[in-house]
Amino acid sequence: MGSGSGSGSGSGSGDEWDQLLGQRVLDYNAALKTAALRLTGKLPTMAEINSIATAPDDASKKAAYETLIQQYMSSPEYAKQMFYFWRDTFKMGETAMLDTAPAFAARLAVNNGSYMDMFTAGADNCPTFTEADGTFASAECTNNGPKAGVLTNPGVMAQYFGNLAFRRARWVQEVFVCTKFPAEVSTAPTDVGGAAPYTGVWPFNSIASPTNGNGRINFQDTSAVICANCHSTLNHLTPLFAYYDMNGVYQTNIAVPTPLDGAPLAKMSDYLPSGETTAWRLNVPAADLPALGQAIAADPAVAECGVARMWNWALGKTDIVDTLQEVPPETIAAQVDAFKASGFKLKDMIYAVYTSDDFVKF
Amino acid sequence: MTRFGYTLAILASTVLASACTDDVPTENTPPPGSTSGGTDTTFDHDNDQISPWDLLDRLTKEGPPRYTSHVHSCAKVRYRTLGNVLTDVGMNVANTTALSAGDLYRNGFNALGGANYANRIRENIMITTSGASREFDIFAAGADEVINAFANGTVTRCPGATLFDASNTCRPDGITCLLGVPATTQHLEFCNLTVSSASTVTVGKRLAVAAMLAAAYTCE
Repeated sequence: MGSGSGSGSGSGSGDEWDQLLGQRVLDYNAALKTAALRLTGKLPTMAEINSIATAPDDASKKAAYETLIQQYMSSPEYAKQMFYFWRDTFKMGETAMLDTAPAFAARLAVNNGSYMDMFTAGADNCPTFTEADGTFASAECTNNGPKAGVLTNPGVMAQYFGNLAFRRARWVQEVFVCTKFPAEVSTAPTDVGGAAPYTGVWPFNSIASPTNGNGRINFQDTSAVICANCHSTLNHLTPLFAYYDMNGVYQTNIAVPTPLDGAPLAKMSDYLPSGETTAWRLNVPAADLPALGQAIAADPAVAECGVARMWNWALGKTDIVDTLQEVPPETIAAQVDAFKASGFKLKDMIYAVYTSDDFVKF
Repeated sequence: MTRFGYTLAILASTVLASACTDDVPTENTPPPGSTSGGTDTTFDHDNDQISPWDLLDRLTKEGPPRYTSHVHSCAKVRYRTLGNVLTDVGMNVANTTALSAGDLYRNGFNALGGANYANRIRENIMITTSGASREFDIFAAGADEVINAFANGTVTRCPGATLFDASNTCRPDGITCLLGVPATTQHLEFCNLTVSSASTVTVGKRLAVAAMLAAAYTCE
């Protein structure tokens, strides 16, 4: 594991917030208690507390602290904690199928796998986790279709089943990019005849409506809000998830309903007019889910979101999306850079967060 | 403008736009800017958004993200973790006696903010009034168990640690074990004052233990 790196305390001259940051002091024992509860779900032992409390100086305390963090992250309890973390992050679990995605992500955190395997792994994507001893067992997903990490996980597809599969696309956006839709915002909004301008980056006519590709739903509606602000991205992304039925099983045809009378199944023409193709973002086409996984893995925002989520967890913050608990890029710049340089090793990144200057200062 | 600022501006403008109108809603209609569908479209969306007023209030109280992102917040102790903590300080979470610490813990899943994955709801991150109340009830109910466990030497993570000596004075090793961090002079003063000020020593010990646990485990 790489050593933890500082993240800029903001000390020195500045406004009141910089001054408050500068007034923090190192407290490795307080950090240990928090780290123990988060990484192992247990309190530190008296011996662990004393190994820091009796260390003669800050350098020795830091060394003792980092040794204990490594021990914690090698324990079965850490595996359990990561499993619970991903259950909460994915908002799913507690059945055999719904636990496979949290187990997949937790295994990456335990084995120091690449975070990007979350989107690109082509096999062994539905492992099981035994809480009693904190161990994982390999297993293939049996829901047919392509394989791309948790993007093709049957539990994810079942948990987020809904009209037109938009809920699945929203899950990917919010969990792995840390923002809600709209995902792409133009710096030059255009007037499309609504009360407000269209702010998407895609051409307005790139999504379907009854007058544009015979879609049955008017995604170009401007009477209330500009639907296309979100749906210009959503409609290019979501069809990739539409082939999974309510049980999360991949079908050869689109298997999600529309909210139209009688709930007929969606068609590609409901999303996109002829000639448009599926994509992650504008100019980032994705013909299938494995290609989408590669595109997501290459998106810098995804790596930054991964670090930000771990940062917020470590520092006890609320959810970055649900409560807009933003982590400014400069706060985690050192951790993000190290994450990228390491090949997105997840366990190393978590260690870097728990040994950062900010984590051990109070 | 940062993403945060952009979102805040959208939220604020949405509310301000509706706040500036003279029209008082007479029906249960969605606010302007919502994406709830009409009877012809019924394309209902989740319009749950962060209240811009709550967000502004948070920013005013806590400071801007460039500050708050660097400092620890007060996340509640997770439900499972709380069970481990109770065990780690000597309580029996399997105790089925009515109103025992174990009983209050095991029947307090919802009050303590446990997850509801079937409805795509994660475990609460921050503590609520009901959660804090239930936690203190547990600590108060289990204080005698903690005192006895230390007295009997069954707190295995802290071998030899005792909470109180023969003269009922609080001991730093026991308090350290209880809190998970080295006991300070202030901790010991608080503990001794609580014991000595109570109606009886037994009550004082119980209060001291419960209060210190509540202070230590309101946040993780």
